[in-house]
Amino acid sequence: MSFRCFASVCLAVLATYINLVARAEDFKPVTEEMLRNPPPGDWLNWRRTDNAWGYSPLEQITRDNVGQLQLVWSWAMEETAAQETAPLVHDGIIYLPNSHGVIQALDGASGDLIWEYRPAVTKRVDGSATLASTNQITRTAPELSGAVSGPGVQKNIAIYGKRIFAATGNAHIVAIDALTGKLIWDVEVADSSLGYRYTAGPIVVKGILITGISGCSRYKDDVCFITGHDAATGTELWRTSTVARPGEQGGDTWGDLPLRFRAGSDAWIAGSYDPGTGLVYWGTAQAKPWASAVRGTKGNALYTNSTLALNPETGKIVWFYQHLPGETHDMDEVFENVLVDLDGRKSLFKMGKIGILWQLDRTTGEFINATDLGYQNLLTVDSSNGKVTYHEGMVPEIGVQIDMCPSTSGMKSWRAIAYSPRTKAMYIPLTLNCELATFGPTERILGGGGAGPVRRKNHMHPRSNGMLGEFVAMSVESGKILWRHRTATPSNTAALTTAGGVVFGGDWDRHVYAYDESTGEVLWQTRLITSAQGFPISYLAGGKQYVAVPAGVGGASWSTLIPRDLVPDIKRPNHGNSFYVFALPEK
Amino acid sequence: MKTLATKTMILILGLVCTSAVNVPTFAQSKSSVWDGVYSEEQAKRGVTVYQEACAACHGVDLRGDSNSPSLIGVSFMFLWEDRSLGELLTKIQTEMPPANPDSLPNESYVDILAYVMQVNSFPAGEDELVPGKYHQILITGKP
Ligand code: HEC
Repeated sequence: MSFRCFASVCLAVLATYINLVARAEDFKPVTEEMLRNPPPGDWLNWRRTDNAWGYSPLEQITRDNVGQLQLVWSWAMEETAAQETAPLVHDGIIYLPNSHGVIQALDGASGDLIWEYRPAVTKRVDGSATLASTNQITRTAPELSGAVSGPGVQKNIAIYGKRIFAATGNAHIVAIDALTGKLIWDVEVADSSLGYRYTAGPIVVKGILITGISGCSRYKDDVCFITGHDAATGTELWRTSTVARPGEQGGDTWGDLPLRFRAGSDAWIAGSYDPGTGLVYWGTAQAKPWASAVRGTKGNALYTNSTLALNPETGKIVWFYQHLPGETHDMDEVFENVLVDLDGRKSLFKMGKIGILWQLDRTTGEFINATDLGYQNLLTVDSSNGKVTYHEGMVPEIGVQIDMCPSTSGMKSWRAIAYSPRTKAMYIPLTLNCELATFGPTERILGGGGAGPVRRKNHMHPRSNGMLGEFVAMSVESGKILWRHRTATPSNTAALTTAGGVVFGGDWDRHVYAYDESTGEVLWQTRLITSAQGFPISYLAGGKQYVAVPAGVGGASWSTLIPRDLVPDIKRPNHGNSFYVFALPEK
Repeated sequence: MKTLATKTMILILGLVCTSAVNVPTFAQSKSSVWDGVYSEEQAKRGVTVYQEACAACHGVDLRGDSNSPSLIGVSFMFLWEDRSLGELLTKIQTEMPPANPDSLPNESYVDILAYVMQVNSFPAGEDELVPGKYHQILITGKP
């Protein structure tokens, strides 16, 4: 190496060092107060605010100028699993979750990489190697990334103090130094060989990490749960089962099935928090196997398909509301809890796969209202009391075909709703699809179970007019549809609302759309290298507003089976997990 | 000059004749997964590929997980009984892994198929399963 070359390497190293030291001095630790009320340019919770609005108060990008948006930088992401990333932003730095536990910190303005955390490769803060969890090494070492066990999806992460927190595909929770990307602590929460895994990360309330686990479709001698961990030490403070055990209150809702055959109720989407009620709100998934005839109980199966209100300090269930008791078609209600006050009522809004918008009183858990989008054909919900009645002949029997809308893929999925306080509307990404479904048996043995086989033939929804995707704006005050935008392929990102009056979304066919919040007019659109997929965000860096949109593949049947079967002529590359940042041109 | 109608007539007749000739032979060569249609060696190769490309979703023991169906036992038979190995192979090859279908060499897909048969207790035989044969082999319950 020549001297000149050596000197320039030294300079580069020095520059990076100075950069890191400067950042260390500048870094403002994230406080409880900031999490509850984030600075306008930050995106500190997975839906920015803990009420899960997915709303940015930034207003540099407006309906008038959004047409000038330009790509500023982009970034290729890990290709080892499905793309469902929900990034955070603090002081202009993006913390980007990638598949199989990889997290990167990027400069929000320039796109420069600041650090990367790579499980089993990144050293600890004290310089020691991360050999503590061999588990993690075999599963996430890059050279073995093709042989990883578990799907490796990483949706959201959390930030608090000077740390980033993540929950891993092998059922660990880790704390990472937000300044360096080094590992601080790593705790194993459950045995991943039993199927336990995380696909969603924690939320932070009063220094406690609240995290929901999944991987409970197969029979084991335990159930899924939500935990509270001390953010400082990683010590587990509480653990609340999402399934009522035999002998406990609600335990009889599974008939006389022993614990090991009470599967499902995975808590695979992060919750919300209201400092006013002091409660954390968390969804649970449907029971497994999906069909009650296959499960072997017609009971309600608590606490599956419910919204749980938890005390963040003790994990105690203060109230619960089961949306679809004894659910029997894979109609998951686990999704985001959007907290909005309406007519003086502190409410919680939620929509599951079946496409009904529920409104609950979030102080008491009392039912307030249910607005059916009108696309499902399985049941009737009484909007005065929430009572669910299945239609004649629509409760699956083993081996008997039914024509169900939606299909088991659902009309709504993990692509989260965004709410705008300006229009008092929910912006909802949907896929309109149905299925000829015949549910089949599973083995009721330890390690067996699972979702259960379904002979499946997908078809377009009769009211879709051949358009699979719908992005719909629904008024929470009237329950009326303000506008819809139909697309040929699934509406494939979470929604993003902004104070500039612009709403963002994207589809499977690689489009990103900027809509007028009131009319649904597409004011700007662009095309990515593959499907728009993940959680779009907006943030400030150096005083300038940016909009970031992830793209990628995987992400369950909306991204694979449904478009493949129903719009076979539309193609997209089957790879290309990536991240795009847009802004207005310099003046 | 022949009219279009005659041409079509000849074509249809031709088709009918060919299939008439073909049907008996097809029926004769039809076999089931109980006839030892793959080899141990092939299933062994299949294990490796399966663990690499499929186990992350369908489980190391093939029992499936979450949305990924079980490829073993009563659940598997519910989906595949009375369908051909060819149909199963087409499904796997054209749709799996979901994010990257048809990404493995053709032989690897056939090897995985052999492994799936092995774990479902269909007996191995002398010869390897080879392309062209599997459309005539039916997946059936124990005779
Ligand atoms: C990323 C997860 C994933 C991987 C990896 C994967 N599969 Fe699948 N597989 C699924 C899902 C989900 C389905 C359900 C149908 C769908 O979504 O396409 C499925 C369906 C199937 C089916 C059809 C079952 C039926 O409905 O009849 C077979 C067979 C299958 N997979 C075999 C394989 C094989 C063999 C491999 C490895 C080459 C593989 N899969 C890799 C997730 C996966």
